[in-house]
Parts: sequence; C-alpha cells; structure tokens
Amino acid sequence: MAILEIKQVSKFFGGLAANSDVSFSVEEGTIMGLIGPNGAGKTTLFNCITGYYPPSKGEITFDGRRMNGLDPDKVCMLGMVRTWQKVRPLAKLSVVDNVMVGALARTSSLKVAREMAMEQLKVVRLDHRPDFIAGGLPIGERKRLEVARALATQPKLLLLDEVMGGLNPAESDEIIQLILDIKARGLTQMVIEHDMKAIMRISDRIVVLNSGEKLTEGSPQEVVSNPEVISAYLGEAHA
Amino acid sequence: MNKTLLKSLLALIGLAFLLVIPRFVDSPYALHMMILLFLSVMMGQSWNILGGYAGQHSVGHAAYFGVGAYTTMMLMHTKQIAPWIGVWAGMALVIVVALAIGSICFRLRGPYFVLASIAVAEILRLSAINLTTLTNGAEGILATELPAFKIGGTVVTDFLTKVPFYYIGLFLVLLTIVVTYLVQHSKLGYFFQAIREDQDAAHSLGISISLYKNIALVISAVLTSLAGSFYGIYVGFVDPPTVLGLDVSVQIMLICIIGGMGTIWGPVLGSLILVPLSEALRSNMITEALVKVGLVSADSRVGLFLKENLSHAHVLLYGILVVLVILFMPDGLMGFVNKLMRRKREAV
Repeated sequence: MAILEIKQVSKFFGGLAANSDVSFSVEEGTIMGLIGPNGAGKTTLFNCITGYYPPSKGEITFDGRRMNGLDPDKVCMLGMVRTWQKVRPLAKLSVVDNVMVGALARTSSLKVAREMAMEQLKVVRLDHRPDFIAGGLPIGERKRLEVARALATQPKLLLLDEVMGGLNPAESDEIIQLILDIKARGLTQMVIEHDMKAIMRISDRIVVLNSGEKLTEGSPQEVVSNPEVISAYLGEAHA
Repeated sequence: MNKTLLKSLLALIGLAFLLVIPRFVDSPYALHMMILLFLSVMMGQSWNILGGYAGQHSVGHAAYFGVGAYTTMMLMHTKQIAPWIGVWAGMALVIVVALAIGSICFRLRGPYFVLASIAVAEILRLSAINLTTLTNGAEGILATELPAFKIGGTVVTDFLTKVPFYYIGLFLVLLTIVVTYLVQHSKLGYFFQAIREDQDAAHSLGISISLYKNIALVISAVLTSLAGSFYGIYVGFVDPPTVLGLDVSVQIMLICIIGGMGTIWGPVLGSLILVPLSEALRSNMITEALVKVGLVSADSRVGLFLKENLSHAHVLLYGILVVLVILFMPDGLMGFVNKLMRRKREAV
C-alpha cells in the first residue's frame, strides 16, 4: 500500500519551475531514494511534502489524507518528519534535550519524553553523552542527533535530506547501517542522497529528478543502466 | 540528591532572611531600594520568558508595563476601584493587547520583530499622551491615596509605610520566579527554547510556532503588567514617558541581557548590578566616594566635573556595561558563571 502519493506536483518560484509535474508513490515499509544533479529540485520537493512550501499545483496524499497547505507542525503530528541537509541542532540544548523536544510531540510528561529520547539515542548510538551540549558535537554525531530527534516524534514516514553529506566513508557506513536498522523496524523512509553507492545499497526504488522534472523511476539496477540518467549526470558523451 | 537538598535549603534561608528584613530595618530608604530591586527582578523575569526562553527579543515591553500601570491607576483614580481589583482588569486587558500585538509582530522574525515591537509600544505611548480624556495626557495620573486593605472587616494594612509594599514586591518576585521555574521544567520551556534555537527545526518537530510564541508572549505580558500595576500604586503616579517610554522597554531588556537570558537567576543577578549602579549614579554616590577616598578633591576641576555630570551619566554607563557584557560574556553573567562551573567540573 502506498503511504505517500505525489500527483503532478509543481512548484514555481516566479517564472522558475523548481518542480514540474512530479508524480510517484512510496510503498509502506520501503526506502525510496531521491536522486538528481544539483538544482534538480529534490529539497524543494521535500519542502512541498513537509509543508514548508505550498505546492503550486498537484496533490500530496499521505496516509490517505490530502496534505496540501498543511503547516509543518501538523505534517509532523500526522506522522511525517524530515531532517535537514544543513543540520539544525538546537545548539544550546543538551543532546538528550534536543531529542526530548521531538518526543514532546507525543507526550506532555518530561519523564516519559526523556525515556523515549534515551531510547532513540540508543538507536543512533549517541547515548554515551546525553548531557553534552549539542552545538559542540562533531558533524557525524550532529547528523545522527537529527535522525534521533526526528525518530522521537514517532513518524510513519521519515524523510532524510542528505544525511550522509559531508561525512567520511566510515561515518557514512554507520549511517547506512542506521537507515537499514530503521527499515528493519518497519519504518518507511525517503532519502535524498548524492552518494550513489550508498543510495544503491539502501533503496528499494529510486526516483531521478532533473531540472525539476521526474526523469525516471525504478529499481536501483534499472536506474543506473538508464542512458538518460547517465547523460543527466555525466553528459551526453557517456550515455 | 544532596545537591538539590542543599540548594532548596539555601533558597529557604534566603527567603527567611528576606522575610525578616523589615523587622530589623526601618530605614525607609533601604526598604525603598529593596522594593526597586524587587520591581527590577519582576520586570526582567517577565521579559525573560519571551526574550530569554522563546528568543523573541521584544523591545516594546513598556506596552504591557504601561497598560498594567495605567489600567490600575485609572480605575483607582476615576472609579475608586481598589488596586488589588484593578490589577486583574489590567491583566485581562494586557492579554487582549498582547494577542493583538502578537498576531501582527510574530509574522516577522529577528530584527523586523524587534522594530515592530518598538513601534507598537510607541503607538501606545503616543495614544496615552493624546487621549487626554481617558489618560489625562502628558500630565499623567496622580493617585497616592490607597484604600486600606481589609479582610472580613479587619484592616490588614493601610499602606502608610513601605513595609506592605515590600511584602507585595517580595511576593510578586517569588511568583515570577516560580512561574519561570514551572515554564522551564515543562513542555512549554522545551518548545520555547526549541523556537529560540531554530524556528524551522522546531516547526518540523510538531511545534506550532505561532501558538507557542503567543503563549510565551501572554505569560510574559501578564507578569509585566503585574509589575506595572505594582509600580503605579507604589509610586502613586504614572505618566506616558515613565511607564510607556522606550527607555522602560530597554531597561527591562538590559536586566536580562546583563544578568543572562534564559536562566532563572539571570534577571536576579542583572537587577543586583543595575539597581544599585543606577542609584549610586543618580545620587552622586560615586563622586562622593571618590572624594572621600581622596582620589579627587571636591573643589578640583575634575571633582566639579564629576559632580556636575556623573549623575546624568547612568545611560552612558549602562551602554558601556552592555558593550562589555556582550563582548566578554555573550550569555550574560549567569551564562559566564555556568561556563566557569562547567569548565571546573570537566577539569575534575
């Protein structure tokens, strides 16, 4: 069953079409990869889906509900949560307090929220220093903190925006393992990623965007062997 | 566990000390200073909830201070309504004013929000000057005769000395500190701080930004209006510049910036510095002290210059103090103390 359906979504900024007529759906329990060259409109699409921009045209349906025009906080409460390409830790709060903010979307008790937060910190392997101030964490841990904070809101769909960007290979491997762990718990994910090896390993299906339009969609093998994809990334000569 | 016990014990001893002060001190001047200190803590702590915790740096808190002060004083002056009833009217009115201001200003972020908050407070100040039938305009309202406070026929106090004001002030300070503590240790505190640290991230985590900003504003405004009402009945006089002026807004904010925003003890620390400092400057104590120590002779050119000018210099010194604090202690004195303690703990 499709948990998220995107039907002919367009987003215009003035005369510029950041997304035009994008359609696809994400099946429950799977990982959908979203790739494309810089400026393809991946993050804009995330912003439309999670309520930061209202789409100019089209329909976004999540869990059987039309999402167009809902605010980001409502989107989160309905079970869809995102992370950010450029990490956004609550810098002056401690690690556990960051994650508690997410957990407080589902409970009003600080005690329960703390337990939920510690649980998610364990999932991302950040439970060794809950009282450390988040602003002082190295980038790899900040990325994992974002994932923990998003997980603490108990989503049905997790949207990860370049969660491996800026990480070294060892840190990337940890994140890949984390994404697969999260999948094993049955959570649906949609992942924007530039690292092709990583996206091939984790995705069940991949959507390729190019200049705002959907270029193709398919299994990882189908997508890499598609000449259009190769030419979008490397130019005509290589296709 | 022992540490929290020690802390509560210290707080209790401090409170007991504050409670017995009027029994041993009868100098009205000393009590007056304590009341000014209480007022300052109240004002700083009220601003702290919106500015320090929720990160919305309002420079228009005079609006709420003034509405509280004016409502109480007007009701007392024209309708002979006792201030302890008028104060509720002030708080109710301030909620309406705050929500109106919030719905306009919270559409803006950062410096634009600051400018809008100044503008709204200035509108209220100019209204108070020009709506002469209602507010008595620039002349202000003078109402020094307080009715005696009775419970069931027995007079509790007739407000003839400063002692009742001392206890009211102390009570209100405790109230604002307790409210801040409760906010900090609840979902609200977490949401306010999340909005302060990163509004977009907070929004994505299910926090309704406009709802929680308005909640912070209403709590902050109601407490500020209480402080305003207290100021009005204590001084017995309000006019537009003293309760609605821009320098009231700045004063409220400085208490927090210097003491430390987003901490419970920051406004207390800020008040402990600013209130004695401005009093010392105003009454020319610093010049007198310099003369007494022998650093400057009273008749010398320097001595005369200081005597002439230092009492007007408190704004300048405030400015220098703010610059120093922002340069060397960006998180205020309390932030500085916390940082030292953390460093010490990590060294151990």
